[in-house]
Amino acid sequence: MTGRTMAHVRTMAAPLGRPILAATAFVVLAAAFFVVIGRNPFAMIHLVLVAAVGDGYAIGESLVRATPILLCALATALPARVGLISVGAEGQFYAGAIAGTGTVLSMLPAPGWTALPLMLAVGALGGMAWSLVAGLLRTGLQVNETISTLLGNYVAALLVTWLVYGPWKNPSSQGWPATAEFPAAARLPTFFDSRVHAGLLIGVGLAVAFHLVLTRTRWGLVLAVLRSNPRAGHVAGLDFRRNALLAMALGGALAGLAGVAETASIQGRLQADIAGGAGFSGFLVAWLARNHCLRIIPLSLLVGALLASGDGLQMLAQVPSSVTLVIQSLLFVAVLLVNGWIDRKRSA
Amino acid sequence: MTNVDIVFGGFLVSALRSATPLVFVLVGETLVQRTGSINLGVEGQMLMGAMAGYGAAALWGDPWMGLAAGALAGMLLSSVHGLLTLAARANQFASGLAVWMLGFGLSAYYGAGLVGRKIEGFGPWRGAGLGDVPVLGSIATGMTPTVLLALVVAPVTAWWFWRTRSGLVWRAVGESPDAARAAGVKVPWVRLQAILLGGLLSGLGGAALSVDHTRTWAEGMTAGRGLVAVGLVIVARWNPWWVLPTALLFGGAEALALRLQTADSGVSAHLLLTLPHITSLAVLTLTCLRDRGQAAPAGLRAVMDR
Repeated sequence: MTGRTMAHVRTMAAPLGRPILAATAFVVLAAAFFVVIGRNPFAMIHLVLVAAVGDGYAIGESLVRATPILLCALATALPARVGLISVGAEGQFYAGAIAGTGTVLSMLPAPGWTALPLMLAVGALGGMAWSLVAGLLRTGLQVNETISTLLGNYVAALLVTWLVYGPWKNPSSQGWPATAEFPAAARLPTFFDSRVHAGLLIGVGLAVAFHLVLTRTRWGLVLAVLRSNPRAGHVAGLDFRRNALLAMALGGALAGLAGVAETASIQGRLQADIAGGAGFSGFLVAWLARNHCLRIIPLSLLVGALLASGDGLQMLAQVPSSVTLVIQSLLFVAVLLVNGWIDRKRSA
Repeated sequence: MTNVDIVFGGFLVSALRSATPLVFVLVGETLVQRTGSINLGVEGQMLMGAMAGYGAAALWGDPWMGLAAGALAGMLLSSVHGLLTLAARANQFASGLAVWMLGFGLSAYYGAGLVGRKIEGFGPWRGAGLGDVPVLGSIATGMTPTVLLALVVAPVTAWWFWRTRSGLVWRAVGESPDAARAAGVKVPWVRLQAILLGGLLSGLGGAALSVDHTRTWAEGMTAGRGLVAVGLVIVARWNPWWVLPTALLFGGAEALALRLQTADSGVSAHLLLTLPHITSLAVLTLTCLRDRGQAAPAGLRAVMDR
């Protein structure tokens, strides 16, 4: 082969090289972890697959798990498009859940058909408001948004705990700290006799929509310029503050939507720890997808399946569900290692 | 105890105790950021330190072994951040979050058997014969070995950092990596040392929390203390001398929350628990309002501004 065709082959293979290398590194790391904890890695990897996609129920649960992760990944990707590293999806999720739950509780005992759209809208606004706090601190006072969003997560989670133990506690639920159950009018429709709900369709639709907005409109270009060269953006008359706030607001709304959808459709009531790390998994997915909205769809399904397999593993292999937390972080480590290594080779 | 004792001595002691785990983490992260890195993984390193420390203390019945094991565990985990950011040149924020998730998962997995176990803590300190002196006495008797260790570590580090040749090298790496490189300093090697030392100190901080301060282990028990530390480094203006007073801001907020809780103030305990986080964010905001990001070491600004 001539040098030119070799170079051509290399360019063609480049987009595939990264995922294959990263997947290999991930499997090696995961297998090593299973060996360390005294398990047969081949048997365990087989069990993870069975528990994640083995039958209809497993696939349904994987999709259920993927839904909030998909929305939270979009919530991370939008601010990242203008160069902000927001890790606040978890807190925005809780803020959305609080706002949405408050809307439904105020409409009890007999909410009409308006309950569902109103609940979703107010939930999205709640996430937006929470995200804007960090956005305003960043654009107004240059407070690092990564730190402020991370601190905000803890505050939002404690607010939910306070509400479900205190003012919003359902008196008839005895010791169990949770709000009253949502009426049927405030639940998203589900599919195929499973827990998979319309939130998944909303998430996929929004991912496609934001992909089109970011790649086909002027605004997408504005964000790209502001991210890659803020100074050039300034010279061209682009307003970093306004666009950063807009990206943070939209991101917060998406995570807030995830929160209210999860509360209304999966749990049917607000309770503590309802996000269960979906915000952080969303951050991981956005990073894996390199903030590409379409790539976020399959990757959130992958991570959702991985986490859903944890519940199955508990039964099939008697391992605690924390194992899937370790596996999830090893996926992150593998991708960072491989990406960093390839970028370094390329720049050298 | 007199009222003066309870108000001043008692409150100061509980603030100091709450601040102690944070002092170690804050000293470590200050050095990490001073050499031009940022490590959000301290949260996970604290958790590993808390879990390993509690486990070792339970296994050997010796709290000192717990502190040593915690420090070692924190350092081991921080080597992942060193590998990812220095060898693979991964994004520092992403790498830190990966280390955090890893520490959270590993500590939850290995710590599952430790939940509810009892350990032998440090025995009561006699307070060096100050027991009867007002205020001072109640402060002295409230001290524990980790509090004293924290009170030593911060100024010793500050002295080393500002007054010795090796401290100067570390500062140079953060202020002007190119000049340091030109002067023959191995910049990545110094950064790795700082990350590992930061890991050791955050592991020690985690162990101080589980072995001495709360004497329990629970999944995710650090509750954001490591992330608070990353923010408070900015408040302490990247200066080890300012670590103690800054950590006391957090410790004071936590002590106040606990006091209001026991005083039956009518405010929910869950709301009071947000106080340390809100206080930290508030002082961070005030610092940024004054500095506008100009006080950071130049090498770090390159990371933060992206």
